[in-house]
Amino acid sequence: MSVPVVILLMWAVTYPARLLGLSLGRLRLPPFWLAFLRFVPVSVFAALIVPDVLGSPEWPRRLVGCAVGGLLMWRTRHLALGILGGFAAYWAARLAGL
Amino acid sequence: MVSASAPSFFPAFWRGFRALAPLWLGIIPFAVAYAVTARAAGLTVWETQLLSLTVFAGASQFAAAGLFGAGASGWGIVATTFLLNARHVLYGLSLARQLPLGRGERLMAAQFLTDEAYGVAVVRGPQEPGGLTFAFLLGAELSLYVVWNAATLAGALAGAVLPDPAALGVGVVFPLAFLGLLVPMLRDRVTVLVALLSGLGAWGLSRVLPGGLVVLLAGVGGALLGALLTTRTAREGGEAGEGA
Repeated sequence: MSVPVVILLMWAVTYPARLLGLSLGRLRLPPFWLAFLRFVPVSVFAALIVPDVLGSPEWPRRLVGCAVGGLLMWRTRHLALGILGGFAAYWAARLAGL
Repeated sequence: MVSASAPSFFPAFWRGFRALAPLWLGIIPFAVAYAVTARAAGLTVWETQLLSLTVFAGASQFAAAGLFGAGASGWGIVATTFLLNARHVLYGLSLARQLPLGRGERLMAAQFLTDEAYGVAVVRGPQEPGGLTFAFLLGAELSLYVVWNAATLAGALAGAVLPDPAALGVGVVFPLAFLGLLVPMLRDRVTVLVALLSGLGAWGLSRVLPGGLVVLLAGVGGALLGALLTTRTAREGGEAGEGA
C-alpha cells in the first residue's frame, strides 16, 4: 500500500470517530448516562495527565512541575500562569539535577 | 455573511482561538519533532504535511511516523490509528450535550477536534457570554490546527537544524495544560475520587496498552464510576430524605 493511501485510510478511521459523538447530541438519555457524560472530562483529563507524568523517564521533574503548576492553577485559576509556573518549576528541578 | 449569527461569530471565534494560545508553547516543538520523525522515516514533505492536514492527531501521527520508519504494514498503521483515536467518540458525545450543532457545523467541527480543543471548550465554553457556541469551539479547534500545520511545514522543511523537544523539556506542557482544565472541576469528593482512580488506572493500563486506548478505557471506566456514585447517592438521598 502506498503512503498516501495509508494516510487517507488513517483519516477514514479518525474522522468518523470524531463525527459520531458530535452527531449523537440529540439523544434522550436517562440520568445515569447524563451523569456519565458529566464525568467524562474529569476522567479523560486525569487519564491524559497521570501516565504522561508518572510513566515518563523524567517523571520526578515532571511531578515537581505539575505539583507547582497545579497549585498555582488551584490558587489563581489562571491557565497560562499555571503552565508557565509549572514549566519554570520543571526546569528548576532539572537544573537541580532531579 | 448572511447567517443570523454573523455579527457575534468572530468575537467568540477569536476568544476560542486565543484560549488555546498557552498551548502553542507545547504544540510547536512537537509538530516540528513529528515532521522530523516522519521525514526520517522516508515520508516526503507532502506526505508529512498531508497527515497533519487530514488525520490531525499528534499521538497517532507520531506512531505512524515510527511505524512507517520500521516498515510496518499499511493495515497495521491504520489499525493503530483507529485504536489511538477512538477516544474522540467520547469528546463528541460530551460536547454534543452542551452544544447542539447543525449538520454543516458538525461536519466541520469533527475534522478539527482534539483533546486540547475539547478540554478548553467544555471548561471555558460555559463561561462565555451565552454559553458554549460553535464559533468558540471552531476558534479553539482552528487555533491548534493552524499552528500544528504551520509547525509541521517548518519542521518538514528545516527540522534537522532545530533542537529536540525533549532537550527543551516542553513535554511537561501537555500534562500541565490538562491539569489546568481538571483542577477547577475538582469541587467535591466524588470528582476527586474519579480523577484519582481514572489517572492511576490509566497509568496501570499504559504499561500494557497504546495511549489512545488507555484514555478511552480509563475515561469510560472513570465516568461510569462517577455516574454510579452520584446516581446512587441521589437515589438514597431521595429515599432517606437527606442529601449527601
